[in-house]
Order: sequence, then structure tokens, then C-alpha cells
Amino acid sequence: MNSVFKICFIMLLGLLLSSCASTAYDTPAETPDAGQTATQSQGLGQDQYPGTGYYPGSATGTEASSYPYQSGTVPGGQPLSGAVASSDRVIYFAFDSFEVSPEYWPTIEVQARYLIENPSAATVLEGHADERGTREYNIALGERRAEAVRQVMIAYGVSPQQVRTLSYGEERPAVDGSSESSYAQNRRVEIVY
Amino acid sequence: MNVINRIVLLLSLVLAVNGVHSEELTIEITRGIADAASPIAVVPFSAQVPTSEDMAAIIAANLQRSGRFEPLSPGSYPFRPSELSQVNFDDWRVLQVDNLVVGQIRPGAAGNYTVQFQLANIFEGKPLLQRTYNVKPQQLRRLAHIISDLIYQALTDERGAFDTRIAYVTENAGAGAGEYALMVADSDGYNPQIVLRSTEPLMSPSWSPDGNRLAYVSFENRQMQIVVQDVFSGSRRVVAAYPGINGAPSWSPDGRRLTMVLSRDGNPEIYVASVAGGGVLRLTNNSAIDTEPVWTPDGSNIIFTSDRGGGPQLYQVSAAGGQPKRLTFEGDYNARPSVSPDGRYVAMVHRRAGVFYIAVLDRQNGQIRVLTEGGLDESPSFAPNGRMVIYATSQRGGRGVLAAVSVDGRVRQRLQLRSSDVREPAWSPFGG
Repeated sequence: MNSVFKICFIMLLGLLLSSCASTAYDTPAETPDAGQTATQSQGLGQDQYPGTGYYPGSATGTEASSYPYQSGTVPGGQPLSGAVASSDRVIYFAFDSFEVSPEYWPTIEVQARYLIENPSAATVLEGHADERGTREYNIALGERRAEAVRQVMIAYGVSPQQVRTLSYGEERPAVDGSSESSYAQNRRVEIVY
Repeated sequence: MNVINRIVLLLSLVLAVNGVHSEELTIEITRGIADAASPIAVVPFSAQVPTSEDMAAIIAANLQRSGRFEPLSPGSYPFRPSELSQVNFDDWRVLQVDNLVVGQIRPGAAGNYTVQFQLANIFEGKPLLQRTYNVKPQQLRRLAHIISDLIYQALTDERGAFDTRIAYVTENAGAGAGEYALMVADSDGYNPQIVLRSTEPLMSPSWSPDGNRLAYVSFENRQMQIVVQDVFSGSRRVVAAYPGINGAPSWSPDGRRLTMVLSRDGNPEIYVASVAGGGVLRLTNNSAIDTEPVWTPDGSNIIFTSDRGGGPQLYQVSAAGGQPKRLTFEGDYNARPSVSPDGRYVAMVHRRAGVFYIAVLDRQNGQIRVLTEGGLDESPSFAPNGRMVIYATSQRGGRGVLAAVSVDGRVRQRLQLRSSDVREPAWSPFGG
């Protein structure tokens, strides 16, 4: 067992060195083409939302559209196991960096074991950045961070199909404020089920 | 649509209508150089009908915001003519005013109003412009913007951009935090309308060239996706929802294609997709971050942000693909381009010594001019006449506000929404 993890760490280092940037998703079958996306997104393409007649002379004044939905459910109805729920599921990053510090490898390993033991479970790695820099660039930075964690999980043996990334960039800070300490708390990847 | 959705929709309609009136933007001119501005008198319009809008005040505020005119303050009018036949030009020459606007609002047919205005040069005593309109009572504010554009064009020989709109994103601060909205308001911040509400972030609004549609990024169903929405009918369609990033949409000048960022092939790259659907064309192939693509107005090139040289800098690539060329060399962070309508200038986020400014790159000589005081300035967007750049900045306390600056940096103003964090302004095209 010990030697297996050593091999994993060596693989992991190799992956990090070869830059997580160029790794492609191993899910070509799930990649929609542009023609499918309109219908694929749970009917959003067909839904008509009331317009906003803001031109003078339009019959109605102000209207709004809304699409409430619930978040926070576990995909596939898989309940969180005790071990997964109680452990820390946040990985923090240095400024302008997407390198996973070795201190977080045990955190990721716990999640990886859960996913290996529960092949029907799936996780979303939510990548985040601090507020400095442009919003779309920070989306890319958050994606890099999430992808780096994903590669560590894959190196631990998790199936790529169980892990997807979602970057929120600077749009969902963990804490408000413009201090170095709040920035440090916002540069993170959250492992979400 | 099921019954519950209908109820939720109705509730949010009610909330939206109630919310809008307390959410008007206020505008504060934070920097202006008066001696460069031409004095103008916009006499309060005489009204023989009840009106909720002070048209002369709207016109005066527009002209003042351009930085090119200095309207007489409303209390300082010794005479209140409503048409040029009542004007003694000698009386006005004493006030050292270059130009004069007079107007009147009268009852028209079928409950409409008849609005007439005249513009004259005071020193030559010469009428320059006269128009009469028949409008609905609720159209007076927009008509004031149209008249502002005509006055601006008559006096500067440049097209005005007052009768345009601004799209932006808000996030409620305090109670109800985490509620996002895509908004559209008039160019002076009035008449804010909700285009879309979401409990998930909304990002990167981009106007179609005809001003009828917005492309933007949403995170509904925990999937980053690019949506195109008709701002009049409200109909919306997902145009990209691939694994990973679906971001930074920007319309081609012909309105048929979108350039965007996708990471579906494993890395953030620039793509071009047809708005109608179909395949995507990949323009970049580099292990660096490539993002924030925008078309040049002639449709031939795409300017984007890339950190392939180390830090983020602007690059240009042919819209047909090819070898990207680096555009910026000054400063360690140049990103989020917005190209001027004539294609000569690129407004961008520019970092110096850890401070983020809005700067303008002159594509003809490669020089960079910083326009703002700096802080966390971001998301610049050119007015359709190329004279102003609107952008987002932060106030003390971290709340986002919108600001606008003239391209020469001489005039600056802040647009403030009372209870929200405001971000990512996008100035509409003409007619939008």
C-alpha cells in the first residue's frame, strides 16, 4: 500500500511539472457540440422569459425574469459519509499560483478514497480567486486551481468521470474585504458533492 | 412552465417593480475642467401639460456629463423664453453664454404631447436647429436624450451617445446577499430595468451590434454557460455549455458570431462560434491562459488577454486564425480589452505597482495613456461614439460602483446605485 502511494506521488509530481494546463478532459463522449447545447441545458433554451419593455411607449413598465433553483444536493442522491463530511474540503493557494501545496495532499487523499470506494459518487471542484485582476482572467485562474486538484485526485486513482471542475473566479468570495488575509481565504478550491 | 414556477415568476415581477424605484443611479461628477467646456443655457421648457420629467434638466445634465459643455445653473435664468421669437439675444450675450436651448411641451392629439425645441447661437443671433415631436407622455425622458444627441452633434460635429443604454450586473449587498441581476439602464443611469435575476453569479454582458440582444455568462445548474437573451422579448438560449469554462462572450461586428473562451479541450482558449449554433473554430493553441477576446470593428482581428509571456498582456490574432501578435509591453498587467468604435484605441485594465487603472492603448503608435486615479478599476467599455469609457471601480467599504471617464481623461463621473454592488458595465451600440 505504501509503495502504491509513493508511485502516486511520483506521478503527481510529474503531472504538476508538466503543467496541468495542457491536460484534456477524458470525457469526449460527454462533450456536447454546439447544436446539442441549446437543448441539453434542462430546457432553458425553450423557456420564454418576459421581456423588459424599457423603450418609451411600451405597454408595460418593469418586468423581471427569474430562475430559482436548489443547489447543495449530492449528485445521484449519494449521502455524504461521515469521513467525508467531517474532513476539511478546502485547498488554499498562494497569490497568482495554482500549485497544490503538499500540505493539502492528505486532505485530497481522503476525498479520493471516498470517491474510489463510491464509484457512483461524483464531485465538483469549485475554483476561486481573490478580487485582484480582471474577472474572466480570474475565472481562468480558478479553473487552473480546480484542474490542479483534479489532477491530484486522478493521480490518487479517482476516475476522471467522477470529478468535474467549475470555476467561479472572484464571483463568490468566501469572505468580504480587501485585506491580505481575506484574499488568502478566497484563493481556494472547494470540494463539493 | 409549471404552476410553482409561474408563482415564483409573478412574485419576482412584483419584487422587481417595487425594487426598481429605490435603485436609481445617482451621478456625481468627480472631475471636470470647466474652462474647456462651452457655456450653454438650457431654459426650462414651458409646459402646458402635467409632466413628470424636467426635459431641460435632463438635457443640461447630459451635456455637462460629456465634459464639453457647462450649462447655466437652473436658478440663474433671468428670462424664460419658450421659443426663439421671444428671445432678445443682447440680453443673453451679457450672460457670456455661447448657445441657447428653448422648448415647450403642449397638449397633442389623442392624449399625446407636442414637444418643440430650438437651438441658437447667441453671439451670431442665429437659429441652428428646430424640431417638433409628437410623443406619449412617458416618452419625454427618452426624447430629452434624443434632443441632447441632436444638440451635441450640431455643436461638436460628433454623434452624441445619450440615447443609448448601459448593461451591468448587480449583487445585492446586506440583506438578500447572493442575489444577482443583469440590468439595463439609460446612459444617464435612470430607468434601470431587470433583464434577469439569479441566485448564481452573472458575468460578462456583451451587446449584440443591433442592441437587441445580450450575451452573458451564467452559472445556473452549477454549469458555467454562455446565454444569448433578447432584451425585448426576454427569450433566451444557451449557446455554449461545455465542460469547464464557457466565458467572455463578445459579438462579431456582423452580429452572426460570438468569440468566447472555452476550456473544453483542457485549457482556456479563444474560440469563435456561430450565434445560430453549429461548430466552433478554435483560434489559439497555447498552454497559457487565453481569455477576454473582443473583435476589432472591421471584423478582421480579435484582441485578447494572454499570460503566454509571463503576466497577462494583450495580443491580437486574425479572426481566421494564425500567429498572435503581442500589443502591450508597458506594465506587468494589461487585460480585458475594449476596442473603440473607430478601432484606433483599446481601453484596458492596466496595473502599475499593484494598483489597477483604466488605460487606453493607441494602436497606431503603441502608447498607453492612464485615464483613472486607480484602485480596483476594471471592465472598461467604450461609448458608441468613442468619447467616453465606462468602467467599474470600488468604493471605500468594497462596494462596486460605475464610473465614466472621457477618453482624454479630463472628465470623470461616478454613477452610484444605492444598495447594490454594481459591476461589469457594457455600453450599448447606437440604437441599442
